[in-house]
Amino acid sequence: MEFFGPVLDGFNVVLDPTNLLYCLLGVVVGMLIGVLPGLGPAATIAILLPMTYGVEPVTAIIMLAGIFYGAQYGGTITSVLLRLPGEASSVVTVFDGYVMAKQGRAGAALGIAAIGSFFGATISIIGLTFLAPLVASFALDFGPPEYTALAMLGILLVATISGGTKIKAIIAAAVGLFLATIGRDGFTGAERFTFGNLSLADGIDFVPIAMGLFGVGEILYNLEERHRAANAPVKVSNVWPKRKDIKEASGAIGRGSVLGFFLGILPGGGATIASLASYAMEKKTAKDPSRFGKGAIEGVAGPESANNAAATSSFIPLLTLGIPANATMAIIFGALLIQGITPGPQLISNDPQLFWGVVNSMYIGNILLLIMSIPLIGVFVRILRVRAAILAPITALITMLGAYTIRNSMFDVLLVVLFGAIGYLMKKFGFEPGPLVLAFVLGSLLESNLRRSLLVLEGDPTGFFTRPISATLLVLFVVVAVWPIIKSAIDKRKNSSLAATVAENKVKENA
Amino acid sequence: MDEKRARHAAEASVDETQKAQAPDIEEALTPEELAAQWEAEAAEPAGPIANLLSSLVVLGLGIAGMVLSVGLGLGTPSEPAAGMWPFIISLIASVMAIAQVIVGRRGGKDGEKFSALSWYAAIGFGTLILMVVLMPVIGFEIPSLLLCFVWMRWLGGERWRSATIYSVLIVLAFYAIFIAALGTTIPRLF
Amino acid sequence: MSIIVGYVPSSVGEAAVAAAIKEAKLRDETLLIVNSSREGSLVDKNTASEEDLARVLDASLKAGVQAQVIESTYRDDLTEEFLGLADKHQVSLIVIGLRQRSQVGKFIMGSQAQRILLQAEHPVLAVKAS
Repeated sequence: MEFFGPVLDGFNVVLDPTNLLYCLLGVVVGMLIGVLPGLGPAATIAILLPMTYGVEPVTAIIMLAGIFYGAQYGGTITSVLLRLPGEASSVVTVFDGYVMAKQGRAGAALGIAAIGSFFGATISIIGLTFLAPLVASFALDFGPPEYTALAMLGILLVATISGGTKIKAIIAAAVGLFLATIGRDGFTGAERFTFGNLSLADGIDFVPIAMGLFGVGEILYNLEERHRAANAPVKVSNVWPKRKDIKEASGAIGRGSVLGFFLGILPGGGATIASLASYAMEKKTAKDPSRFGKGAIEGVAGPESANNAAATSSFIPLLTLGIPANATMAIIFGALLIQGITPGPQLISNDPQLFWGVVNSMYIGNILLLIMSIPLIGVFVRILRVRAAILAPITALITMLGAYTIRNSMFDVLLVVLFGAIGYLMKKFGFEPGPLVLAFVLGSLLESNLRRSLLVLEGDPTGFFTRPISATLLVLFVVVAVWPIIKSAIDKRKNSSLAATVAENKVKENA
Repeated sequence: MDEKRARHAAEASVDETQKAQAPDIEEALTPEELAAQWEAEAAEPAGPIANLLSSLVVLGLGIAGMVLSVGLGLGTPSEPAAGMWPFIISLIASVMAIAQVIVGRRGGKDGEKFSALSWYAAIGFGTLILMVVLMPVIGFEIPSLLLCFVWMRWLGGERWRSATIYSVLIVLAFYAIFIAALGTTIPRLF
Repeated sequence: MSIIVGYVPSSVGEAAVAAAIKEAKLRDETLLIVNSSREGSLVDKNTASEEDLARVLDASLKAGVQAQVIESTYRDDLTEEFLGLADKHQVSLIVIGLRQRSQVGKFIMGSQAQRILLQAEHPVLAVKAS
């Protein structure tokens, strides 16, 4: 009974008109950028960070969260109608969804995707409701050594699981950690790496980095894009799947939701991996796998449920442990810090209104999305007619002017532009910007916990291993770190023995 | 006029896809074929030189970081000073950079090569810096107008007339939203 | 020798193609049906779908005219692209559709048809929607 009190309070928070408005705004913007190629949820959330300064923390996070899971709904539309994934997590939807559209079943595909997304998200929210307080209460006993190990493991997981070279991702994370040290050192008061510049004395502000790396970087990168030929506008009729379709897809929806929920919790996991895994699982468990790629509705229902479930459950590590699971969560972490809230295990107990307000807003947001996504398809296809050449300067101006409004400082705008260039170059050279931002937001917390741990353990690093939780986490850390090396060694040996066998056979044949 | 026409004729022959008597409906490509098509359309990877260059830059920054950190004082494990943590990070970065030089010496699948279109990104960056410089002096309206026009006309291929009209409309809209509606204090001329 | 017609999936475009088919039959020439779309967006209302193109080709075949579809993209100037194609294939006639536009409308939004009429070196047949 005591459990449900705060949950119901959370609904009170959500039904506040301002919060409802920002929720609606968030999910609409999210759906919109999910449809439009070029900008992703991370970039949009970063660009809209200045909007969070004037509102309550709950309101801000409700909007930002809405953008994130709303984008998962929007990306499906271009996948099904144009064979072009709007988001990375909608790539697999293209395989069967577009074929269904060609067969005249575009409405069924989009409809089942919306239903599946809704179910996936809702199941994930219910899971969150029960799991999050458990995890948070478990983590309340964490001391500085546990938190240090956890933060290190989180950063490593995000760096290794995200695409691109692992080494470059670790370098990006290291750069992020280093940038976090610029400014006055909390422990000794020394000024680090400021080179006498007064603006740097308090450290680099998080918002310009996020806006620059993700916002301007993405915009500059898109300027380069080779433009494809346009498609004819698609008319979608019959936007509701038949009963038969729903029946066929229900298993996939259930499986996808559960799979997505668990894959989203893992740092570095997330919506994209969940959708891929769900597609693979559906193919494996289908009675007739050859249907996939030819318009199998499970190929749409499963991944769409999974990616929404994962997007929702990726909030769990952030809200219960204070560890962002991916780059977007890192930006939301930063948004919370701006509001003066430090995410961590104490968030649920210290600020239950915030926690349950955000969680319950997800129910409302998903209902809004389910209602809106189908009728708005015509509108979105219209919006897709706007040329990139017109959208690009608009997003650039929003970013630049928005950056100024943070502190009325031109220096912030300059930082945004400079980090934009860095973000662009990072992309060109193969460095992921996500680990950098993640490491940056965690950097000062990680360092202070590490130094506190050393003080507690009296300078003895092996002390980490005498405490059970931090020992486990550190062992996991080492395993994840060396796993790629072990794996490639095993592969090489397999290949060499395989090569030897093949060579032997060839010799026998020729003999 | 004729030269332009001839140039376009030559370009058109590269772009056009001619269909015979009856156009075929697009085949349903299998996921593997689709993935292969996307990979063919995607940009080329950055290549070994880019890998070496970027890794060396990181190595340089890492060593600089280490040197500066030592300057701040390292302290001891039981009493770490301000420079201990940045030193550790710079060390990791430098070691990883060396590893990357070795691992990526034959290039890899990551990154993208710079192409002729990359100049667009450079021009975009230039206009943004210009805006940062000009905004405090003459307000945001004129630099924004210039930025919109340059991006639409040259980076986007819009016609003079539409680029001008859209630029004016966009700046007016931003004025209405940021100044009139939200009342922010962005430097402005009007 | 061939005739080139600019096609968009609208009543004006359909009228242009119908007229072009008649002309091609009269002159006993092949027909080039051009559908050009603008780069930069994912969806363009001027882009003809596969069904539209199939239908148009079918109509010309039924009339006994040999026809070919050319799909292309242009960045900023449809007129240059279109006239370039006309030059390249050395057509004997250009057929385009004309839309009703007020004087002011033409000034603000420009008129590709007007520019083609003025700049073409080949004879131009301009057709209004019936």
